[in-house]
Amino acid sequence: MVIKMKEKENKNTIYTPDVATITKIERVTPSEILFDIAIDDPVKQKEFNFMPGQFVELTVFGLGEAPFSITSSPNNRDFFQLCIRDMGNVSGALHKMKKGSKVGIRGPFGKGYFPFESMKEKNVIIIGGGIGLAPLMSLIKYILEDRKSYRRLVIIYGAVSPEYILYKGDFKKWKKRDDIELFLTVDHPDEEWQEDVGVCTALIPKITCPVNKSYAVVCGPPIMYKYVVVELEKKCFKPENIFLSLERRMECGVGKCNHCHIGNKLTCVDGPVFSLWEIRNLKEAI
Amino acid sequence: MLYKILKKEDYTNFIKKLISNYEFIGPKKKDEVVHDFVPIKNIEELSTDYKRTVIPPAKKLLFPSTEELVEYEVGDEVKINPVVISNEKILFGINAWDISAMNFLDKIFSTDFIDENYFAKKNKLIVIGKDCDPTETNFSLSMGAEYVKEGFDIYLTELLDRYFVRVATAKGNELLENYAKTKDAVREDFRDYDLYMDEYRNKFSLQVDIKNFYDNFDSIYNDEKFWERVAKNCYSCGSCNLVCPTCFCFNVKDDMELNLVIGKKIREWDSCMMPDYGLVAGGHNFRPTKENRLKQRYQCKLKTFVDKFGTYGCVGCGRCIEACLAKINIAEDINSVKKEVGV
Repeated sequence: MVIKMKEKENKNTIYTPDVATITKIERVTPSEILFDIAIDDPVKQKEFNFMPGQFVELTVFGLGEAPFSITSSPNNRDFFQLCIRDMGNVSGALHKMKKGSKVGIRGPFGKGYFPFESMKEKNVIIIGGGIGLAPLMSLIKYILEDRKSYRRLVIIYGAVSPEYILYKGDFKKWKKRDDIELFLTVDHPDEEWQEDVGVCTALIPKITCPVNKSYAVVCGPPIMYKYVVVELEKKCFKPENIFLSLERRMECGVGKCNHCHIGNKLTCVDGPVFSLWEIRNLKEAI
Repeated sequence: MLYKILKKEDYTNFIKKLISNYEFIGPKKKDEVVHDFVPIKNIEELSTDYKRTVIPPAKKLLFPSTEELVEYEVGDEVKINPVVISNEKILFGINAWDISAMNFLDKIFSTDFIDENYFAKKNKLIVIGKDCDPTETNFSLSMGAEYVKEGFDIYLTELLDRYFVRVATAKGNELLENYAKTKDAVREDFRDYDLYMDEYRNKFSLQVDIKNFYDNFDSIYNDEKFWERVAKNCYSCGSCNLVCPTCFCFNVKDDMELNLVIGKKIREWDSCMMPDYGLVAGGHNFRPTKENRLKQRYQCKLKTFVDKFGTYGCVGCGRCIEACLAKINIAEDINSVKKEVGV
């Protein structure tokens, strides 16, 4: 049986994904897998420019579409990487996919983490909780690739337990570097765990950078923000220098479907990264 | 804007010509109370003295309840095609507040990204507006939507013995030149139009005190008792969203035919009143209660787009008041915010 689709000569619309291939699959924790994805059209893959903090809408054909933050560095032009937790329909189906499987990609969408020019010559404090590290990883890698342009780099990361820590290999390497101040914490340690125990909020007082020359970038579960913000403000961080990546249900990714709106902002086009200053003017944001 | 006069005896002829030359969508009587905008083949079917339509005409044509966006074929390779439908149509008899709502949708679907699926239809739509009498639940006058000066090609206002015609586009002018006998409006016509508009505005019996709402809303935002009272009877059914001419929330879904080869991406209307509207993977719900959701709806309709576009997201058509099973009344609620905060 030959099934033929209606021939149409339309140009691509904002809802039309590009066909892409999963080129590598790496399970990193019991619930998270890293996917390397490349758009099949090599020209489109090369033109796939993004900034840390941006996301893609990924289609599992026949099943649906969901937004995922890009976790690789923008400087990597051959593929991009997503870190996906088995949470919903689309992510669940992705977890069953194999190398070579086809998916649909729209994007990159959203604004990235603020103009990097203003971050240069400043201290950067990165605070991640759980899967919230995924979008931050793109930022960390981007900074490390041009490490000398920034001052101190502080990374605070909290996970449920040691086996759920993402990017263990990277952390092992970074622990040895003297240009990264790395603080790891878990809620439930095992016998071998030698780092902190508890929520990552408790580590914020350990930051010793002068706050007037520092940016804080935070991503984690919704519940984390309230407490992190309180601690950062105790340290006198200015609200315009604190950046939070917010999660909402982004159906379209292009500012049309309205699902991700918070007050007069849309998470998908105005965010997902907002400064605390912007968020203060948005009720129900955090 | 060009101003012309169309004699009543020439009006019927004009409409007949339009019906025979174009795909013509106009109001048709459905029952004693309700009209619906449907394809009209014969002038007898057309009934422009309507008061009520349930589904707003512009939304029905330009942003249907379900719409195919993309079609794909999954095999050894994956083929993806966008689906964009456009053909020329005349939308006849749409009133001022529904045009106003269409102008709002235009802004939504053109801000940040152009939505080709909407504009392929919109760009080929010829809009002929016509005044109609407001219902008792209509508060468009307060929302500034009882009159429009853009968003149509031609707008007809029925005076005693003639139509006062406002022509906003070249396309509208071309239609009149091709299919109607008109003459330019003179001072006397404007005087009658002015008189008509004054009388027309007097027909809007329901008014809301919206002027200080923008700031008052913030002061009442965290007043849980107030929102409990307002949302007490809400069933979270979403009827208000379905009938709203400016509601545009939708879901994007994928669907596969039984052969598991041909699939499509569709969008379908969603409702911010539904409990799962703010639900994300992992189970967190950003708006878990009906109070959250109704408050959010009022914010979206009456505040959000004042910031974004400088206009309200509500045109005051009153459809949601009539559709609400729980008798929640946005006009009353606007006024009670004023009463609660003001003096």
